[in-house]
Amino acid sequence: MMNNAFALAGIVIKELYRRKDFYVLFILTALLTLLLGSINFFNEQNIARYVKEFCLLLIWIASLVIAVTTTARQIPAEREQRTIFPLLAKPVSRGDLIFGKFLGCWIASGIVLVVFYVFFAVITGAREHHIHVAAYFQAFWMHWMMLGVVVGMVLLGSIVFAAPSSNSTISFVVILGILLVGRHLNKVADSLAEPTSSILYTVYYVIPHLEFYDLRDLIVHNAGSAPWWAVGVATIYAMVYAALFQFVAWMTFRRKALN
Amino acid sequence: MAEVIKVEKLTVEFPAGGAGQQTKVAVKNLNLTVSSGEVFGFLGPNGAGKTTTMNVLLGFVNPTSGSASIFGVDVRQPIARQRIGYLPELTYYYKFLTAEELLRFYAKVFRIPKDQVESRIDEVLKLVELEHARKRLIKTYSKGMQQRAGLAQALINDPDLLILDEPTSGLDPIGRMKVREIIQRLKNEGKTVFFSSHELGEVETVCDRVAILNQGELKVTGRVDDLVRENQMNLEKIFLEMIGYKSPVTV
Amino acid sequence: MDDVPTKSSELKMASPRLILLLLLASAFSLSTVLAQWHQNWAGNRSDNGSALAVVMGDSRRIFANHFFTKADVYFHSGYYPSIFDAPKQQERSHMEEDLTQTHDDEDEDDHHAHDESCDHGEEHGEAEFLDKPRNIIDAFGRNFYITSHSHLAEGEQREMLPWLKIAAELDPQKVQTYTVASYWLRSRLNKPKEAEQFLREGLRVNPDSYEILFELGRIQRENYTNPDNARNLWELALLKWRKQESAGLKPNEFNYQQIIGFLGALEEQQGNVVKAIEYFEALKEVSPAKADIELRIEKLKVASEPQ
Repeated sequence: MMNNAFALAGIVIKELYRRKDFYVLFILTALLTLLLGSINFFNEQNIARYVKEFCLLLIWIASLVIAVTTTARQIPAEREQRTIFPLLAKPVSRGDLIFGKFLGCWIASGIVLVVFYVFFAVITGAREHHIHVAAYFQAFWMHWMMLGVVVGMVLLGSIVFAAPSSNSTISFVVILGILLVGRHLNKVADSLAEPTSSILYTVYYVIPHLEFYDLRDLIVHNAGSAPWWAVGVATIYAMVYAALFQFVAWMTFRRKALN
Repeated sequence: MAEVIKVEKLTVEFPAGGAGQQTKVAVKNLNLTVSSGEVFGFLGPNGAGKTTTMNVLLGFVNPTSGSASIFGVDVRQPIARQRIGYLPELTYYYKFLTAEELLRFYAKVFRIPKDQVESRIDEVLKLVELEHARKRLIKTYSKGMQQRAGLAQALINDPDLLILDEPTSGLDPIGRMKVREIIQRLKNEGKTVFFSSHELGEVETVCDRVAILNQGELKVTGRVDDLVRENQMNLEKIFLEMIGYKSPVTV
Repeated sequence: MDDVPTKSSELKMASPRLILLLLLASAFSLSTVLAQWHQNWAGNRSDNGSALAVVMGDSRRIFANHFFTKADVYFHSGYYPSIFDAPKQQERSHMEEDLTQTHDDEDEDDHHAHDESCDHGEEHGEAEFLDKPRNIIDAFGRNFYITSHSHLAEGEQREMLPWLKIAAELDPQKVQTYTVASYWLRSRLNKPKEAEQFLREGLRVNPDSYEILFELGRIQRENYTNPDNARNLWELALLKWRKQESAGLKPNEFNYQQIIGFLGALEEQQGNVVKAIEYFEALKEVSPAKADIELRIEKLKVASEPQ
């Protein structure tokens, strides 16, 4: 299984670096960050936090766009361009296909993140004359783990929804919804009457809490790093959700007729 | 001779397109065997169930009832496809890859030992005459070249059974001839070839045995020579008779 | 007879060009009419030099408020309630509260004391919006965001400035943005020149703002120690305040107290006792601390009596 999965992952990674999406988003992020960083605010040379915040925001947007759009098109494109037929005519199971696509999109997102975070470290290092290596590594790691959940979720969506565009749109709404209000759903539930309250509480416990993986505030405000044990637990949490989404995707896909 | 493909009482039904419609029977109670070393032609008009049968053999579609096995292994097991080469009717491959990269990818899937991969790629590219374009992206290939790249990927694992779905459709006469030569060459090497085609002249030239399918049912199967001798007519006429075609001129 | 089809084909050839010519002529003619109409219709917006104002229209005020709040979030180092946290509502942002402290020379120590207490939210009486974790997800999630209250200190206040500048760009009519930025620039970042320049930018857009005039006066008084300029600016601020009051615009009473309080203190320091008493008398009328002001007036009267 791993042999096939890594072979498929290699193809996804090749696709990413041969397409222009990543380069465009990286250049855009770099240009906007440098442009904003060059603005003079009241002759203060050492202002850094707004640049960090802006750069991290762009990195989050770019990484989500790359992860979601790359993942959403994988299986629909295989079916639409009929490349899935010669592929599955080889000793490749549908489980291999799902796992391989997941691995490819996740590793590709990780490579993208490395490039973005190195740029971020260089920019902040130049402004603050100091790089918080542990905190930055944590931010990268947690971001990557979150993208694992996102990739799993979008992969499942690509089995359910035939069109990549509808899958991408729905995925973006769900992901942004979780990131923005996921943390507060219980508070909202408390203020509602039954049965809405219980339903919302169920949603609160069921959704993957992607907001755990957003360490931007800690980095922007130089608030140190998160406890390592918590990072470890969050890593396991992300892996469980990513596996769950892949399992459901496989369950849906394994008996689906391809013609 | 050993049975390479064995299909028993195979029935495939598809759900109806709209509410209130009956299910569509694509293949009905099909029994078929293909022996080792044979070139087997699978014939039938459009919608006869040829591609559906092939899709069952390749695990793309699950049978409603009956069974199918390749080399004695149930077709639903991925391992059944270890010794198969498959060329679909429409050949589309990852456009962002070169032919060489595509073959390297499939070689990895087949777990071809690393030290043999490059020589195997050279071999198949030479066979399909794509050596000169091996480093070009597939999206820049002509249709004939794409078809040959498809054939190359089907041959990368040196398969014992080759399943070809209308391998010459859409090709120019030279392209067809090249594909025919390749099939002939594989036959000489003792490979089993199972292919569907509308080119009956071609089938008559290349195939040892044929099966004619119409509306999901097997109408006739046998050696080409025997069929021609018994019916006192060529394969094209036999085909037309089996599918119940009547020329408007004759009518 | 042969000529007829030829003419017709010539006409066919010419017609697209004719249509093109007609369309171009119509477009140019209309543009001359519409340009004038647009000028009248667009009103202020067409005159506005800021590209942001033209592009975003009035929606820019929403963004300006967001960025103003962002500056406050930065002041609290990211520890800030969301709309779901329902904190005890503060009337002003915390960074503004510092601005409203009275700054007589004698008060400097008090202010310093205030800053130190800022490091302890509870002591400062601020709303602690984070209750005890409600469940395991809530408790675990707190490992990944800021859960302790602290304020920017020792020059770090500069981190707020970009957001204030952007807020002012987006909504130049929001006077608070100028006064808050000026406060931090002059009192914590030692940049009175930049503060004054920013306030003057604000004054150009808001010529009747007594708040900006008052803040400008403080720069003259506290940073440049120029009491005459400070007096002029505060008197002008008082004039603007009264003008707005008489026009029924209900200007902020607290600002009025500040203006006359500072004017009174200035006159007191300059030895203009009569004027000082006059301002303190006016302050007594509106201030809640009437007894203290009465005491101050008495002291002034005693000190001014001939020995």
